Amino acid sequence: MTAGAPVRDRSGGLTTLLGSPALRMVGKRTLMAVPIVLGASILTFWVLSLIPGGAAQQLLGPEATAEQIAALEQRLGLDRSGPVRYLQWLGGAVTGDLGNSVISGQPVTPVLAERLAVTGQLVGMAFVLSLGLAIPVALLAAYRPNRLFDRLSMLVSITGLSVANYVLALLLVLLFAVQLSMFPAIGFVPLSESVTGNLHSLALPAVAIAFPLFCFYTRFLRGDLVDQLQGEDYIITARAKGVGPWRVLVRHAFRNSSFGLITVVGLNLGTLIGATVIIEQIFALPGLGQLLLQAINTRDFVVVQACVVVFAVIAVLANLLADLLYAVLDPRIRYGSR
Amino acid sequence: MRRRMHLPALLLATAMVMAGCGGGAATTAGDGPAEPSGPPQQGGELTVLEDAAFAGGWPTGLDPATNTTGGANVPQMSAIYGGLFRLVADDDGTNARVEPHQAESSSIENDGRTIRITLREGLRFTDGTAFDAEAVATNFRRAVDSPCTCSPNWPLADGGITTDGPLTVVLEFTRPYAAVINAIPVTNVNWIASPTALAEKGEDAFAIEPVGAGPFTVVSNQLSSELVLERNPDYFKDGLPYLDRLTFQSIGGDQPAYQALLAGQAQAYEGLTTTPLLEQAQSQGQLSVAVQPATSPYVVQLNTEAAPFDDPRAREAIYAATDFDAIAQGLFGGQYPVSQSFTGPGGLFHTEEIPGYTGHDPERARQLVTELGGLEVDLGTLGAYVAEQVMTALQTQWQEAGITVRTETYELSTLIQEFNGGSWHAMLQTAGSWDPAAGVGVNFRFDSNSPFSGVTDPELDALFDEAAATVDPAERQELYDRAGEMIAENHYAPFGLAFAPANLAVPGVYGPGLTTQIPPIVVNTGVHWDEVWREPQQ
Repeated sequence: MTAGAPVRDRSGGLTTLLGSPALRMVGKRTLMAVPIVLGASILTFWVLSLIPGGAAQQLLGPEATAEQIAALEQRLGLDRSGPVRYLQWLGGAVTGDLGNSVISGQPVTPVLAERLAVTGQLVGMAFVLSLGLAIPVALLAAYRPNRLFDRLSMLVSITGLSVANYVLALLLVLLFAVQLSMFPAIGFVPLSESVTGNLHSLALPAVAIAFPLFCFYTRFLRGDLVDQLQGEDYIITARAKGVGPWRVLVRHAFRNSSFGLITVVGLNLGTLIGATVIIEQIFALPGLGQLLLQAINTRDFVVVQACVVVFAVIAVLANLLADLLYAVLDPRIRYGSR
Repeated sequence: MRRRMHLPALLLATAMVMAGCGGGAATTAGDGPAEPSGPPQQGGELTVLEDAAFAGGWPTGLDPATNTTGGANVPQMSAIYGGLFRLVADDDGTNARVEPHQAESSSIENDGRTIRITLREGLRFTDGTAFDAEAVATNFRRAVDSPCTCSPNWPLADGGITTDGPLTVVLEFTRPYAAVINAIPVTNVNWIASPTALAEKGEDAFAIEPVGAGPFTVVSNQLSSELVLERNPDYFKDGLPYLDRLTFQSIGGDQPAYQALLAGQAQAYEGLTTTPLLEQAQSQGQLSVAVQPATSPYVVQLNTEAAPFDDPRAREAIYAATDFDAIAQGLFGGQYPVSQSFTGPGGLFHTEEIPGYTGHDPERARQLVTELGGLEVDLGTLGAYVAEQVMTALQTQWQEAGITVRTETYELSTLIQEFNGGSWHAMLQTAGSWDPAAGVGVNFRFDSNSPFSGVTDPELDALFDEAAATVDPAERQELYDRAGEMIAENHYAPFGLAFAPANLAVPGVYGPGLTTQIPPIVVNTGVHWDEVWREPQQ
């Protein structure tokens, strides 16, 4: 099979699989991810080295003498040159060992895995909530534009977009934890301990992250749907064929609008990661964001680098997933015509 | 010194206060310490919140010799290790004194050059090994070599840490250091770790699961996040601790902590500094609020070694332009006292009025500024709620006196750089501790050898050394009074708001330092966790 040929061979043979455009795209993007992740780790290391006050000074505070700082730097291995430390870290990282925290001496990998589970669940819940609500609301709003529901949804969206995550988080706590005692204000219950407790503990933080996203997605999708419905030839054709308005909206317009939505969802990942750093701090959640913030505050470059690498890998994977979804939704991409 | 919440969060806090938000059952105290309805009860659990930017961070673990943030982690350390000595006070915070705890007694000999610390008999670490003089001496040697700034600043003679029998540790100094016992509770020598457990586990593992002889033992420790402790059944004080379980939870600042308390997610919070929340807590009576006796006043540090403050007239102009009484009333509703001394009213050797201290005199300030041909000042401080409020007010007051003021809020690392650069003008900081000779005391702000002092005055240095070496409290008082006068006469740095953080607790929780007052020995009050108790829940 030649490159770019349609994937019609359903034999499942290895040759066919390896030759498929989708798989070649996955392979290509995976290879592209390596310099991206490497670049992110080098950039992080360099930026950390520019921040005044090293880990030792940061840990010891303003009372520290030069001798105390030097002694701690020696103990933490920070007296070695930057490139040497980076290469040592990189050597371990390629074998899956993300090194030991320069501050605590603890291995980073298990800590990271533990924290990632919390953040992963939080982000997952936020995505499910935001998209799960935004899609039906946007569809309903676009179904009858400029009517009451549409105007209300736009009002909520604009209001939601103008409220910062941390403000919303504090207001949610005030209402649902303090006043109504419905959800916990802080803390995390592991899934292994209690499923309901776990969902309960993540409910408010997930909503705090999800709400601005919901508003953004609703606004974005509604606008795109209305554009599609008002001007596209395929919509006119579908209507001319007698397809009902709801079916035109869902089966035709939404299918096309979903490309844009997938793109913004992928791009939103960075915002989402930024939000988790603040939200985890407010809700005292032992996630990756909290770990990253602590590591930045203590100039623990090994942990910061590990976190950044994980975030970079997640971002690359999310973009890859978005591209694969394009392929699933758009036959032109699936068959390699693009 | 501590970093605090950023402005937007504080604005929200203020808005919420104005809106009178909050809920939950209203019960106890507004202003004063809560009164229990009966005697202390055994049992129960308690979650204590600690600000992630200060006590809620323990990134290097909890081994006294390798922990680098020990000065901030006094709550955790005290709960695990207990302490050889501790600061106690009457319930209203008066009559504060350092008393032996795991130590039985101490004596100062040889004019303050020899200190003998005798331990209680029969003490055991929670691993069953003996808490004896040898164990304490081993800990002292490790603590002295520690990179932590909580390491003691002892003028030790060679081989100056020895034992005299199974229960006595002897310290030999090269010069008299009579203030040593008062300084111990703020340094890592106060916390004695089991040498046997340390050898068996190794330093890294020990830092995560330390073993001491304190009221609680470690169940789990997630660094800078959550520390779960349980009752030590073999604690040396019969019937103590009261609590079965104690959890320290790190949280991102005053506002989330306050809401978590109201929501019943935690039962105590140490170190509240956001004034609007403090006022809300006091006025609504939903929580018990213990505002601690202030020991550490704010001071406007003036760099006397560089222009413009190498000119005494410029320094005097700052004294005359500054009205801390107006700031205390206008910004903080008189919540915090104003001090002319480097130790606040809750500290040792505080003097209400310092002879020669020139206060607010705007006319004099304007006259001096004219005489100087103008005065331009860079005023900085660390990013903290109270400090930033005070800095802004000072800027206004000084500008009214004709002084051009540029303000800057620094991160810790850049603040240190500014000091090391030597070209800074004025820095608003906190000065002093409960005993001026201990911790971030008067030397730290005024000694010629301190990198964070803008003053080089050998006569003042000699006074500080003599005061730290003197055994007799009356003589120490005289020496510190003289030091205070010298600072005032030379207009080295005007003192101001004597500020101390508050501790909050939900109704039904009581304990020394939590619902009663104890002066902060440096920053936060040392809560006596072994005596903290909780009324049985319905």
